[in-house]
Amino acid sequence: MDVKAVILIGGARNEGTEQLGGIPIGLLDVLGRPILERVLDRLEKFGISGAAVVTEIPASSVPLARGSIRPGMQWSEAQGSQFWRAAESAFNDFAQGGSELVLVVRLGAYAELDYEDLVQFHLDAGCRVTRVSDGAGIPLDTFVISASRRNDAAYLFRHELQEMRVPCDDYRFAGYINHLRDPKDFRVLALDGFAGIANLPPCGKQIKPGVWLGENARIHRNARLLAPCFVGANSNVRAAALLTRGSVVEHHTEVDCGTVVENSSILQTTKVGAGLDVTHSVVGFQKIWNLRRAVEVEIEDRQLVSTLRSAPVRMLNNAAEMALMFTRTMAQTLLGRKSARTPELREALCQPAAALKTSEHTREEGLPAGDLLSVRRYGNE
Amino acid sequence: METSRPVVVKRVPERMNFRQARQFQQEVRPFFKIDRPQIVFDLSAVRLIDAAGIDMLLECMTEASRRDGDLKLASVSAQAAVVLELTRTDRLFEIYETATDAVKSFSSFLPNAVRQFYPGVGTAPAFSWNQRDGHGTHHAPKETEEAA
Repeated sequence: MDVKAVILIGGARNEGTEQLGGIPIGLLDVLGRPILERVLDRLEKFGISGAAVVTEIPASSVPLARGSIRPGMQWSEAQGSQFWRAAESAFNDFAQGGSELVLVVRLGAYAELDYEDLVQFHLDAGCRVTRVSDGAGIPLDTFVISASRRNDAAYLFRHELQEMRVPCDDYRFAGYINHLRDPKDFRVLALDGFAGIANLPPCGKQIKPGVWLGENARIHRNARLLAPCFVGANSNVRAAALLTRGSVVEHHTEVDCGTVVENSSILQTTKVGAGLDVTHSVVGFQKIWNLRRAVEVEIEDRQLVSTLRSAPVRMLNNAAEMALMFTRTMAQTLLGRKSARTPELREALCQPAAALKTSEHTREEGLPAGDLLSVRRYGNE
Repeated sequence: METSRPVVVKRVPERMNFRQARQFQQEVRPFFKIDRPQIVFDLSAVRLIDAAGIDMLLECMTEASRRDGDLKLASVSAQAAVVLELTRTDRLFEIYETATDAVKSFSSFLPNAVRQFYPGVGTAPAFSWNQRDGHGTHHAPKETEEAA
């Protein structure tokens, strides 16, 4: 039987949900791979290889889901009301191409459906459209539509998957579901992947029980990784950093010296500054979503959290910084000035976070009065 | 017990980047010039605070400690709390749920007022201070007044 799939990324019911920093959660990496890619893999596992992806976000964000675009896949972008028209168009293309059934999946919720069982249910029930809902009857925005029923499909898309032309049976799914409405759900998905509750194995090499590293991930020998944790491809964990309690560091990410990441996810291409405490949070796109306080905080200060640029831009920046450093060193040598002394241990411990030391905002007197001492809770120091 | 020295409560502005932090520090500088200053910063309005803002808080705390006084924080907004925790500076300050509690804490130990991971963050502060000027107001703890 020829079954195709239309994957919709966008079309959230409530504004601001199902996305992080304006990027739909479906396009973000979880344990090394985008959710979209994992869904496509699952569809392929059940023999559904042809898929069309309709997204609501601009083309610049598409590289986030690298690897999801496969040969023969249709990828289209549409915004606003055009989004649902594009979905209808993708359905019609499959119907005209001779497909018998079309599966419509909106990401949305992540559900580990048995697609074979779903298709069989649809055929047995003899419905035009079958809707998938969870055990409590909450729809998952996943449908099976007979390709010949174009009017039903058009009606469904024009009502943004909320109404059906003809009532039909619900397929109740009792397996793993994560609605992925907010950062908390996103974090829970990663933890479920670690625990094996969800079928989301971390993409990387397990260097010791519960610790996975992606390709070309660099871990400083003084950094400490406590299971379970994951460091994505091309990421860099610097000296004295600590990753603990189910922390996830996605690809092309940098965790600077002495930073503690506890029960948190660092999204792709994010740099976390030195000497920080990132706890119970999702960090990325210059924002922090603190899960314990249920608050989203925008961080403008690039010394705390910043987004890493692409490799060529980084290379140019590094070259410029190096040239500046040489010039400064030469000027200091010529003027006979001494370089800044290395701070002593007691003085260094009194500084709360290295990221706080702004260049234009230096203190006149480094040490606070009295015997004030701040001590790290974790790490080797 | 504490003396009848006044406690200064100062509301911190909504944005605390480099420029605002400098400006705010200039405003509060006179309060730290006195002997044993007792200052409370009300952070309920803070929506954005960066490294310069945190640095300013640390400098104020240092200044207060140098003169044998203290700086306490109150009604910390969720946004400020996240940045304080992120930069590991939350443990350097006494933080109270309301400015009233912070003011009282200068004269007596308040076990119930000591926050445990900022209870009540996000709720409106119960502090009923003079809203008309919206800036620093001198408070004298009740016990102090009675003693005086």
